[in-house]
Parts: sequence; structure tokens; C-alpha cells
Amino acid sequence: MMLARVADSLYWMGRYIERAEHVARLADIMLTATLDRAVDAGRTQEIAVAAAGETPPAPGALPMQAARRLVFDRSSAGGVLSSLARARENARQVRDQITTETWERLNLLYLKVTGETAVDLFDMGASAFLHDVIADLHLFRGAADATMSHGEGFRFLMLGVYLERANLIAQLLEVCFGDGRGARSSDHVAEMNLLRMACALEPYLRRYTAEIEPRLILEFLLFDEEFPRSIRFATARIEENLGGISRLARGGGLTAPDRLAGRLKARLEFADMEELRAMDASALLTDVVADCARIHDAVHDAYVAYSLETRLPA
Amino acid sequence: MHDAEGEVREHYAAVHSRLTSLSAEALAERQKTLERSFLLQGVTFTVYGAESATERIIPTDLVPRIIPAAEWRTIEAGLTQRLQALNMFLADVYGDQRILMDGVVPRELVLGAPSYRREMRRLYVPHKAYANVCGSDLIRGQDGRFAVLEDNLRVPSGVSYMLANRDAAKRTFPGVFQSSNVRPIERYPDLLLATLKSMAADWRPNPQVVVLTPGVYNSAYYEHAYLARLMGAPLVEGRDLVAYENMIYMRTTTGLRRVDVIYRRVDDDFIDPLAFRRDSNLGVAGLFNAYRAGNVVICNAPGTGVADDKAVYAYVPDIIRYYLGEEPILPNIETFLCREPAQLSHVLANLDTLVVKAVGASGGYGMLVGPHASAAEREAFAEAVRADPANYIAQPTIQLSTAPCLIDGRLEPRHVDLRPFILSGEKIVVTPGALTRVALRRGSLVVNSSQGGGSKDTWVLADGDAPEVRP
Repeated sequence: MMLARVADSLYWMGRYIERAEHVARLADIMLTATLDRAVDAGRTQEIAVAAAGETPPAPGALPMQAARRLVFDRSSAGGVLSSLARARENARQVRDQITTETWERLNLLYLKVTGETAVDLFDMGASAFLHDVIADLHLFRGAADATMSHGEGFRFLMLGVYLERANLIAQLLEVCFGDGRGARSSDHVAEMNLLRMACALEPYLRRYTAEIEPRLILEFLLFDEEFPRSIRFATARIEENLGGISRLARGGGLTAPDRLAGRLKARLEFADMEELRAMDASALLTDVVADCARIHDAVHDAYVAYSLETRLPA
Repeated sequence: MHDAEGEVREHYAAVHSRLTSLSAEALAERQKTLERSFLLQGVTFTVYGAESATERIIPTDLVPRIIPAAEWRTIEAGLTQRLQALNMFLADVYGDQRILMDGVVPRELVLGAPSYRREMRRLYVPHKAYANVCGSDLIRGQDGRFAVLEDNLRVPSGVSYMLANRDAAKRTFPGVFQSSNVRPIERYPDLLLATLKSMAADWRPNPQVVVLTPGVYNSAYYEHAYLARLMGAPLVEGRDLVAYENMIYMRTTTGLRRVDVIYRRVDDDFIDPLAFRRDSNLGVAGLFNAYRAGNVVICNAPGTGVADDKAVYAYVPDIIRYYLGEEPILPNIETFLCREPAQLSHVLANLDTLVVKAVGASGGYGMLVGPHASAAEREAFAEAVRADPANYIAQPTIQLSTAPCLIDGRLEPRHVDLRPFILSGEKIVVTPGALTRVALRRGSLVVNSSQGGGSKDTWVLADGDAPEVRP
């Protein structure tokens, strides 16, 4: 049992944390890519900006400008800084529900990226700056995992993290493989960068060796059971956390969010790579994004904004 | 720290020798570490500026203030006596009104006060405990005695800073702290919880306590969250609560859940838009009816403000004598009531030596510090007093005592006051510690955090085997 508003805040905190990490990584990969050949750089920049949900940069825009916008622009809803600010605002709302260790990690990071010297530090060494942001977010996750009780609140937090992750990875794949792009043979470096954007390069290489193929990337990021940034992995966690919540909150029995999450999980578990290749990945990715949105709404209706008439005390 | 002969007072010896053994740089470094840790923990208050609300830490001074055991015994006894009498006063003015009929306190002063809540008439408050949490402000006068400057019976703040300061002091001067025999204050949250639970109806076992906050934009939000966390009580906002059939519920993920005790950190005016201010969206519509029906307890009780009204303050010594038949242990500051014609003319003739305060205001607003004001300011204020004399009181300018503070790496005296916290439910408990507020600007007498004041830890010393008080 927890306050509906608190559950909502923890959930959003999870979403914003995940988004901040993802966009920080996109910005970093984009900047590093521009050190290489210009053609790839352009393509990587396009992918990064589109995957972050931003409008494409004006032709000739410098990667540094695009990156600064992804990180610091408060008006862009998906930016690193605005995501961190929102995550922290949600954390402040539930300051009594999260541990001091967890709060301090996030507050420290927030103070760092909003500090007076932050933009200068970024300009002097964007890669180091973004690397630190991502490392701090990992510390936050670690602190939450190690110090918070893994009860309802923690599950709402993790639900937010994985729902956002499934969504973000699906968006990234859509940008790269949507519209029949899946068949296109593409550049080795751009593909490595795609894997880096999903934080997947090293795990991929261990699984498939250095033979990087679009088909295998898609397979890995969609279906791998063990890689934490595959959509299948994320949807399994969504189902698991929702199951935990409904057991804790309702004493069992499937709820609307449970059913939707179960269906999404099954969709990925029983999908056939061969069949997928024959068509294209677009349809599946679109379904994933739509299912995530449906789960989000269902969670909101079941636990946060339910109508009082249905839940009056006996 | 020093006595009249310039000698270091005995109870300050250990702190003094530690402080003087450190270089200015080392002290400044510790000060910086402390401030960083407050910022990191979010020990902040919100300042409302032109554009947005920003969070700031309360400037905190490293040098503890030390109060010997014997002195504290007087403070403790005095505050207990005072709160006991004030609770009886509240029960009386919302009940039979004996004190008004006997003419000890003027009837129109009480019944005409804006903080008097007619809605509270004839309402049963368990243990007659109206002010469950009280934070009185004390000052030490020229004679070295503590006196009460003001009683804060509505929603007093600062206890979280008291606890945070203690935490910081332990980390900054562990050795001195350990050898100083300081009485612990860490039990405040569980004593508060016990006090709140003692206010619940007997037939509700294991009552559900919540802390009601106006939200993250309130200047004391840190404190609300802090107390909720340490009590293990949900921190709720008005929008989390609903009234249904005269009972109060909170919206949880599992549906509606009954609430028994609300420690509200929202002013009377805002707790229930149906009963009080209609434009409030911080409160809960129907809360007051549920309270009247005895289905929920509001702490502090609505209407307690009438007992910390600045005009009623002048009568507190009489109130103590009336209900308890005892002489007040802690004196008041001499106070002139402008509502009395003779006292009004005295005030108007001596504006250059007096501090004049509006009865309803707090936080250092709406006051004139005569000796520091210009002739024009005094004239303008006199105009306002003449127009509405009943709204003003005046007190002699009190030279607050000073305590050494670390200013730019050096020890300098700054004016201070003392805010101890008193809990009252089934019993009255005074926490052996206090928030010492500091006027950080040289010569300034204003200690309010909203006006640039800071704070420091207060060490109440135990003598030998002082037993801890339990509720």
C-alpha cells in the first residue's frame, strides 16, 4: 500500500532516469562519431537526434551544437538536463519514500549538471562530462537497488525504467530499420555506433563475434533474453514488476496492466526471426511502442487516477 | 563563551580549546564541507524570488552553543508550565470561558482575534492538548535569565534544522562532542509519533498518522519530508486526501485508506476550503466536519493561534497564575498594548526606543525597530498604529545575547535566540536541545531565516545521570 501520487512519482522518476541515461549516451556516441569520416558522422548524428525524438538539425549544424541541445536545452522535453530536473523533482515529491543514499546520488548529479560551470565543463570535454553523467546514473541505480526496500515503491520505479527502456530501444531501432531500411546493407562503422547507442557493442561482440550484420543487430536488440537493453528483456521485467505490484497492491489476480504486459511479452517471446526478416521489423516495432503506451495508460487508470466510486471502503 | 572577566566559561572549555587549536583555513574547510553536505542532503528552504523559487541552505554555524544542565532545568520547567497553562487557556476559551468571565483576559481581545475559531467551540480535544508541537522563542536578557519572546503554537518549523545541525556537529567535532556529555535529541521523531498517536481515539488501535504538507514549493518542505521519513508516516498533500461520510481517507494504490491523525503543516486558513478559506486548494474539503465528528484528529488543533497572538502574549503570566496558581518560571518581555489608551500614548512618545509589532504578523514582517528606523519611518508607523491601535503591541528593544560564531574563519560574537521544541499529547515533553538562530550580519538583531538569519547546534549538557524523559 502506498499513496497513489507517490507510486506515480516513483514511476516517472524511473522513466526520466532512463531517458537521461539514454540521451546522454546518444549525445556521446554522436560526438565521438564526428571525429571519424564525415559521411558516417552525418548518418550517426541523424540517428541520434531522431532517436531522442528531436527535430532534425539544420543542414550544416555542428555536432557540438546538436549535442549541447540534447544535453542542456531545458525546453526540449527529452533532453538530459530536463529529464534529470524532472526526475529530481519527482524524487523531492517522494523524499520520504526513497532512501537518503538514493536521493543524494540524484541530487548530486542534478547539482552537477545545473551548476554554473556545467556548460564550460561540457565544452572542455564533452565525452568525459557525459561519461560521468552516465556513471552517476549507474550509481543511482545501484544505490536504489542496494538500499531501498524492494517492495511496491521500488517496483514502480523499475516499471518506469523498463517501460521507458523498451520504448527508447524500439524508437532507436525504428529510426534505423523502419521503413524497409532493414534490408539495406549499411556501413560497418555506423552499425558499431548503433550498437554503442544501445550500450550493446561489447555484449554483441561476445555473442556474435565481430561479424556485424544488421539482421543480427536487430535479432540481438529485439530478442536476446539476457541482454538488459533488449526489448525482450525489458518487457519481461515490465511484466514481472507489474505482477509484483498487483500481488502487493491487490492481493493477486490479473489486472488490466498485467494482461497487456503479458501479451507484449508473449509477442516477443514467440516472434520468429525468419518470418520477421521476410516482412520488415517496422510493424513489430510500432506494436511495441503502441503497447508501451497502452500499458502506461492502464497503470495510470488502475493505480493512480482510478475513480473513487469504484474504490470506496466497504 | 566568555564571562564578564573575559575568562572562558567552564562548560565551553573543551570547545574553545578545540576551536583555537585549528587554523582559520582548517575551520573554513570544515565549514565548507558542512555546507556541501547540507546541499547534497537537500537540507534547504525555499526562497521566493521574482522569477522562481530557489532552494537555499540555511547558513549554518559550526560553533555549538552550550547550555549547562542547571540552566536547562529552569527552561524545561518553565516551558512545561507555560504550555500546560496555554493548553488550559485554549480549552477554556473554546469551552466555558471562565477566564473571560473573571475578567483576567479581556473578552474582546480573545473573541475578536482573527485567529479565534468559533468553529472550535465546545469541541473535545483529547488530553486538552491543543498545541501538540510548540516552538517557543526564548532570549537571554542582560541579567542572564532566559525570557520568552514569543510562543509559536500553530505550525512551528525548525526542528529538522536542529537535528541536521546535531548530525553535522557530531561529524565535525567528534572528539569534543563525545567528551562533552551532551544530551541526545535524536528521539524527537519517535516522541513526536507517540504524541500524535496519543491524540487518536482509543478505539482505533494502531492509528494511521500522516503528515500534511502544502507541497514541494513550501519553504519548509524539507522539514515536512524529513519528519515523515523519520516517523515512517506518509507525507500527504491535500489532493491525496478525501472526505467520505465524515471520515478522511488517503488515495493509495490499493484504494482508499482511513486516516486517523493528521500532523498538518498547513495553516488553519487553508486546511478546509469548506470551513475556512474558499480559495485554498491545499486543504481537504470536509476535513473540519470529520474532525468535529471525532473521526480524525488534526494536530495542532485549529484555533491554537489565539494563544500565541501577540496581544494575548502580554497576559500569559496572568494566565499561568490563573490556571495553575503558580508564579511563572520563565518571565515575559515587558509588553505595551496599544489598545490601552495610556499604554498607547507611552508607545507613541517612545517610538525611538521600542520595537513595535503588528499582532497578526510573523516572520519578522510588519514590525518597526525604533532605534534603527528613520524619523520618517517612525512617523509612518505611528500613523498606522494610531489608525488601528488594537493591532499593535510594543516592547523595549532587547539586546539579544550573543554567541561566538565562525565568520570568515574567525570567531566573532553574533546575536542569537533559542527555539526549543515542546511536545504535548498525553504528556508534555521538552526535547533537550533547541534550534539556536543566529543573526549573521554584524550588529543585526534579526534571526529569521527569511531575513538572512542562520542557525547553529545547541548542546544541552547532562549532569551525571540525567534520566531521559519518556512520554
